Amino acid sequence: MNRLQSHLHGSLGRRQMLKLTASGIAGLAASSVLPAAAAEAGGNVAFWGTGTLDIGNDWQRAMESAGLDISFSDNGNDPGPIVARLVAGNANAIYDVSGVQGGAEKELATQGAVVPWDTGKIANWDKVWSWAKDIPFLTVDGNQIGLPCVVNADSIIYRKDKLGVVDSYGVIFDPKLKGRVAMEDAWINSAIFTAMYLKESENAPIVEPGNLTEDELGLVMEFLIKHKRDGQFRTFWSGWEQGVQLVADEEVDAMTGWEPIVLEGQKRGLDVAYAAPVEGYEGWGNNLLLHRGAVERGLGDAAHEFANWIYSGFYGANLSQSRGYVVPSDNNVAYAEANPGEFDPAAVRKTVDHVRNKFSGKVYWQNTRPDNFQLYEEWWQKLRNS
Amino acid sequence: MTIGFENRTVRVVIGFLTAAALVVVYLPPLYLVGVSFNPALQPALPSLGDLSVKWYVELANERGLLAALRESLLIATATTVISVSVALAAALAYLELGKLRNAWFLLVLMPMFVPGLIQGLALSVILNRWQVVPFWGTVAMGHLLWALPFAFTVILTSMVSVRRSYLLAAADLGASWWQRVTQIILPLIIPGIVGGVIFSFLLSLNEFARSSYLVGRQNTLPLVLFGKMNSGASPTIYALSGLILMASVLAVALFMYLSARRKRA
Amino acid sequence: MFLIRRGLALSSPGFLLILLLGAVPLTVILVWSFWTWDPATYWIQPTLSLDAYAAIGDAGRWSVIVGSFGKAFLAAFFCLLVGYPSAMAIHFVATPRWSFVLMAAFTIPFFTSYLIRAFSWRLVLGRTGMVNNFLMQIGLIDEPLDWLLFSDFAVMIGLIASYLPFVIFPLLLSLRKVEPNFLAASQDLGAGFLRTLFTIIIPLTKPGIFAGFLFVFIMAAGSSTEVQMLGGAGAPMISIMINDVMRVVNFPLAFAISAVVIVALFTIVLAGNRVFGLTKMFEDFK
Repeated sequence: MNRLQSHLHGSLGRRQMLKLTASGIAGLAASSVLPAAAAEAGGNVAFWGTGTLDIGNDWQRAMESAGLDISFSDNGNDPGPIVARLVAGNANAIYDVSGVQGGAEKELATQGAVVPWDTGKIANWDKVWSWAKDIPFLTVDGNQIGLPCVVNADSIIYRKDKLGVVDSYGVIFDPKLKGRVAMEDAWINSAIFTAMYLKESENAPIVEPGNLTEDELGLVMEFLIKHKRDGQFRTFWSGWEQGVQLVADEEVDAMTGWEPIVLEGQKRGLDVAYAAPVEGYEGWGNNLLLHRGAVERGLGDAAHEFANWIYSGFYGANLSQSRGYVVPSDNNVAYAEANPGEFDPAAVRKTVDHVRNKFSGKVYWQNTRPDNFQLYEEWWQKLRNS
Repeated sequence: MTIGFENRTVRVVIGFLTAAALVVVYLPPLYLVGVSFNPALQPALPSLGDLSVKWYVELANERGLLAALRESLLIATATTVISVSVALAAALAYLELGKLRNAWFLLVLMPMFVPGLIQGLALSVILNRWQVVPFWGTVAMGHLLWALPFAFTVILTSMVSVRRSYLLAAADLGASWWQRVTQIILPLIIPGIVGGVIFSFLLSLNEFARSSYLVGRQNTLPLVLFGKMNSGASPTIYALSGLILMASVLAVALFMYLSARRKRA
Repeated sequence: MFLIRRGLALSSPGFLLILLLGAVPLTVILVWSFWTWDPATYWIQPTLSLDAYAAIGDAGRWSVIVGSFGKAFLAAFFCLLVGYPSAMAIHFVATPRWSFVLMAAFTIPFFTSYLIRAFSWRLVLGRTGMVNNFLMQIGLIDEPLDWLLFSDFAVMIGLIASYLPFVIFPLLLSLRKVEPNFLAASQDLGAGFLRTLFTIIIPLTKPGIFAGFLFVFIMAAGSSTEVQMLGGAGAPMISIMINDVMRVVNFPLAFAISAVVIVALFTIVLAGNRVFGLTKMFEDFK
């Protein structure tokens, strides 16, 4: 890894330093909102990301504004296989940049599958919200391994017509709702939600819900196992369509899950709402990772251009309108305001403010790789078998 | 109708069970066809007045889905051609191998027992070591090993109708091995070959676990559908399923019409 | 001698394919299953150990393997039960044209994605689904039946619907061995339909029964989608377990589980071979 790192930094020659300075100045002049200025280096970048990061035919815009030919492939969103393909498999040979849920950065960097970003080469880095830069896992040994691409905070989706206003994860474990609730079929989310509830509402001795010690994990999982045995859960769900179906077809009245499912439910005419729980939200970041293979192929600069484009406003405005997701940067609103014909500035601002508000309260960070992650898997297996 | 099956009760019972089997197999895809004509976002059967081809029209814009369909058809075709040819040779070898038969049979069956996910991962590790950049061919390699034992067993099952006496008689009459294969064995096992083709194609077309570690940049259809279902799809995925179903029905109907005409001519 | 040489020539493409694409990766599986997971590097170390095999004893992983085989056995059994009458209908009862139509009818649905088919069972079997709606409309029930979905029942329906043609085709192929004059002779001797079925048709179709059973058993044992989408909360299955283990990149454990599964499946087939003379069924030329 060190070799690669020096390779990366070594390639930062004088010419590029000059270019960087130039684009830095241009960045100060808020040129990022004006597309044409960035169209310079170009390149073909293969972006291997979570399906929700896909903007479909609109990737074309990266070509028009930055000369970047982006080919997007869905990585399935499951951090396990993604890490496996990056480390042992062939992902490094075909994809240049990943978009993955945060947590595995340290592991991937240690293995040399990904290399640090040089934020100095990303003109719009200044525009990224500082608290988003402080998200745990993004830096490893002082190196910027991950760049926050999308941030959000999750809680409970529930049927308002049936349950009134819900403000606690306690609803998931309420015996009155036996067989009418669901959680996600992944410890990555379900263990942390349960830990947050036990910590905040049952005063359980838990320090960091996203990174449980062996004892804390035992406590959390025994609690889940007990409720599963009691028949509390209708099912465990995974993936968008399954989640929407559970709510839409009245299989469950409440479940932990993603906010876009609420929006989709409302679009389909259901009285569903998203809880603002007293225990807080589960914050998550989907982060951009730079593949070692990209640098070896000489695409390091193009990848940085791509990251810069992600932060330039169009992409963020697009995602916030299509999925309610927020790229942690002020450029989204700025872009929508500068291009009111393309996006509704008020709607983009509303989404951005909504997400930012969620983060002003209590938030525990999702972590795909807690220190005891092997134990998490073992406990999840016990839960399945119970 | 065959002798022994004229009995009314027998026919009714068999007919009823067959109908039940068809209901089980058709309930999901037909439901999907219904859903695909529902203009609402919520997947449900539309009322008759609401029927709409909205999602089929939008399907034309789903470049990602169509590219994945193309990729999957390519991989399935390659897998089918190679696995059926190899399976046919393997089945003919079985006839010749004498005492080694059982060992050969079990060896060809072997890849069937490897869990798909693991086979895909292990193969991708090896291909990576050999510096093979993944493309549609690497996916086909993974599928090949999965389709081969099925095609082999189906062809072998159909060889049961090849009587040793036919082959001996032909040999007595001076037929070479090649003549015996092309003039006796092949015509008799055509149903087995057709079965092998259908199985190989279907297995490859629908394979997920073996593909996920072996794909190149272009994802296959099951991978894209999985991704779309996980990240918020529009009902175009149901339209695509409906389209594939209807195309298959049309292809079969066309085939029947043409073969009926040929018979009359 | 000449025969054997031709046999070797004919078997070489398959042999090479299995060697390169099958045996070599299998060796990786076997070797890595004896290595050790190292938390410091997040990766495996070439230190020989049996830890991974020992870990199969923990967390009830054994029971997942046994349970999955149980589910697969049932699925294969039910597929045969449903598929056999259908194969007979196609082969004996239908006219040639209708038998083609039926054969096509049993194949066509499988061109659509099994993923979406499995998902649509959720829509059909759910609380507000077609089946519950129908049962309530005809007044058979007042409340929707909860056990239709997210239950072993739903999983079984899903598995049968996913793998049915894989029994029908081998059965059809082996039914061709049942010659009409056998049936005529049986009838002349006064045997009823059931007697003919059990003493003539079924024994003669043993290769097809075996092949069909094996196909569904193997595919169901390796399935995950049906269980994941239709089973109860977090229902276990071998493939789901391997996926869970891969999610924490514990390759030694994932590969040890695979090795155990491969050996177990192979043992079942070999034992079946011993008891039923399965491989012999393919060689009984007359």
